[in-house]
Amino acid sequence: MALASRQPVGAETLSAGGQGDSIVTVRDLTKRYGRTIAVDGISFDIHRGEIFGLLGPNGAGKTTTLEILEGIRVADKGDVRVDGLDIRRNRRAAQARIGVQLQATTLFEELTVRETLALFGSFYPRAISPDSLLADIALEEKARARPQDLSGGQRQRLALALALVNDPSLVFLDEPTTGLDPQSRRMLWDTILRLRERGKTVVLTTHFMDEAQSLADRIAILDAGRIIAQDTPAGLIGTLGAKATIEGVVEPGNVVSVDELRGLAAVAEARERGGGC
Amino acid sequence: MMQTVKSFGAMLRASLTMLRRNRLLVITSLGLALISIFVFGWLFGSDGSAQLRLGLVDEDHTSVSVQLTSQLRANDSLRLHTGSQSAEVAALRAGNRDAVLVITPGFGAGLASGQAPLQVYYNQSNPVTQAAARGAIQSIVANLNAGITGRPPVVRLSEQAVSVRSLRQIDWLTPGMLGQLVMWANLSVGIVLVQWRKQGILRRIAATPLRPSVLIGSQILARVLISVAQGAVLLAVAIIVFRVHIVGSWLALGLVVALGSLAMLSIGFVIGSFARSQEVSQTLNFLVSFPMMFLGGSYFPTTSAPAFLAPVIQAMPLTYLNDALRGIINNGAGLAAIQTDVLVLAAWMVVALIVSIRAFRWA
Repeated sequence: MALASRQPVGAETLSAGGQGDSIVTVRDLTKRYGRTIAVDGISFDIHRGEIFGLLGPNGAGKTTTLEILEGIRVADKGDVRVDGLDIRRNRRAAQARIGVQLQATTLFEELTVRETLALFGSFYPRAISPDSLLADIALEEKARARPQDLSGGQRQRLALALALVNDPSLVFLDEPTTGLDPQSRRMLWDTILRLRERGKTVVLTTHFMDEAQSLADRIAILDAGRIIAQDTPAGLIGTLGAKATIEGVVEPGNVVSVDELRGLAAVAEARERGGGC
Repeated sequence: MMQTVKSFGAMLRASLTMLRRNRLLVITSLGLALISIFVFGWLFGSDGSAQLRLGLVDEDHTSVSVQLTSQLRANDSLRLHTGSQSAEVAALRAGNRDAVLVITPGFGAGLASGQAPLQVYYNQSNPVTQAAARGAIQSIVANLNAGITGRPPVVRLSEQAVSVRSLRQIDWLTPGMLGQLVMWANLSVGIVLVQWRKQGILRRIAATPLRPSVLIGSQILARVLISVAQGAVLLAVAIIVFRVHIVGSWLALGLVVALGSLAMLSIGFVIGSFARSQEVSQTLNFLVSFPMMFLGGSYFPTTSAPAFLAPVIQAMPLTYLNDALRGIINNGAGLAAIQTDVLVLAAWMVVALIVSIRAFRWA
């Protein structure tokens, strides 16, 4: 059932029994900040070996969802299993198996790139040597530089290397290419695709449709804390129509009004987010 | 368990590296203390009152003893008084001599046979003076021995300027600078904590299996080690350049520096737990540090401070740290003699730790 759902046709339905190849299962996940509901009872599975994209505008709940899966935030409700481990009860054991890249990581100013990689490696039972990681991200010549002296692209690659320091089977990347120039972005895409070739599962958030389309095997579109669509990129484009989906999701209410969007033939649904416009 | 030890070791090494490379920290702690030591040491250090009052009793009456007497009289670091043994010892008892040197009969004759006896009386009521007098007498004897064994040239006594009449400005200042160094080196942990939190470093670490206690514990140990190391450099300069004498035990000194560091660290953690931005944490750090720096008795005694300041001074942990350090360095006090200071510092540490643990946030 779950295997069949990887075929690029139609919207995927969740299957309770389909955990055989799932490395992450999320059920009824809810998180509030005060009176705001950031994540509103979402459920999804991530399959072993795939690149899974969480697509959505800012404030849709992508980062909150990711941070709960990473064990940084605690959910108000719901069940999250990472590599078979309950993230709440076995947080450290789960964290030893995952790699994490946060949005805009700042690192210790007083440590060099190599020292930073070695330090983070020491937090895990098993770690890849800093030199082999540096070779992996083509940053050998910056081994003795401080993180703040790196370019934006180099810094993102370092953040990615930190996510790989424990040779995890599951890697979370939160908006890995935001703020990068097109060339650095392509370079990072190649690196991420190579991760899949090496058998790693990658979960990434993005608000770029083209990024999700180029990288992800499956995409879940988040809006206002809910999953409004979940499918392969091809499936999503087939059912929703590419252009209207992209415009509507990426720039909600800023450029085009919601009524205008509703008037378009290809738009199935257009919504305002709370506090938007 | 092994993993925790490994992480702790790596985090400790990294913390030490970071602290060494933190220029602001090194400048405000060791730098400030060293500059103060040099400025005040040079301003007040060559104070002319630093003469040792030596009573000399010549019972030998040979050409050798007369020669020794004139040599000592020519030494301008000594104020020499001559007289009978009973008169000089009485003067020592009355506090008018720092030491009395008796050239016993047979000294001149004994020189040839290698059995030249000298007798020394010290004033035991003042450890600083006693130690200084002992140093001066030992150097005099060393000189004599060198001259007799025929090893030229005989070092002039005036170059052995160890003699101290009483506590000099620099002797008093050195423990104060050590206390101030400990304060600056540790209080700023709050700024770093806020910086790590605001920049998301704490959150990034929270995504690893590293335990928060390992992160905080290694930072604490690193700061204590850095404080002890910086304190050692400061004392080495004070001893070598300004001949400051450490009367008390080095062990007690190390323990008090470590305890003072822990108390200051705990207060730093309170700042780090409450401050919501780096600017606020820096402002709080200076608001706490500067009054302590000037009212904590580092640079000048606070005994003559106006009455309304007394409660403030009495509340400052640096007041007690300086008092404990002065007790050890200047008066040779043991831990029992400074137990009030130790208890107050420990109380500051415990209370601040409890407050900071309650208020601490990762993000």
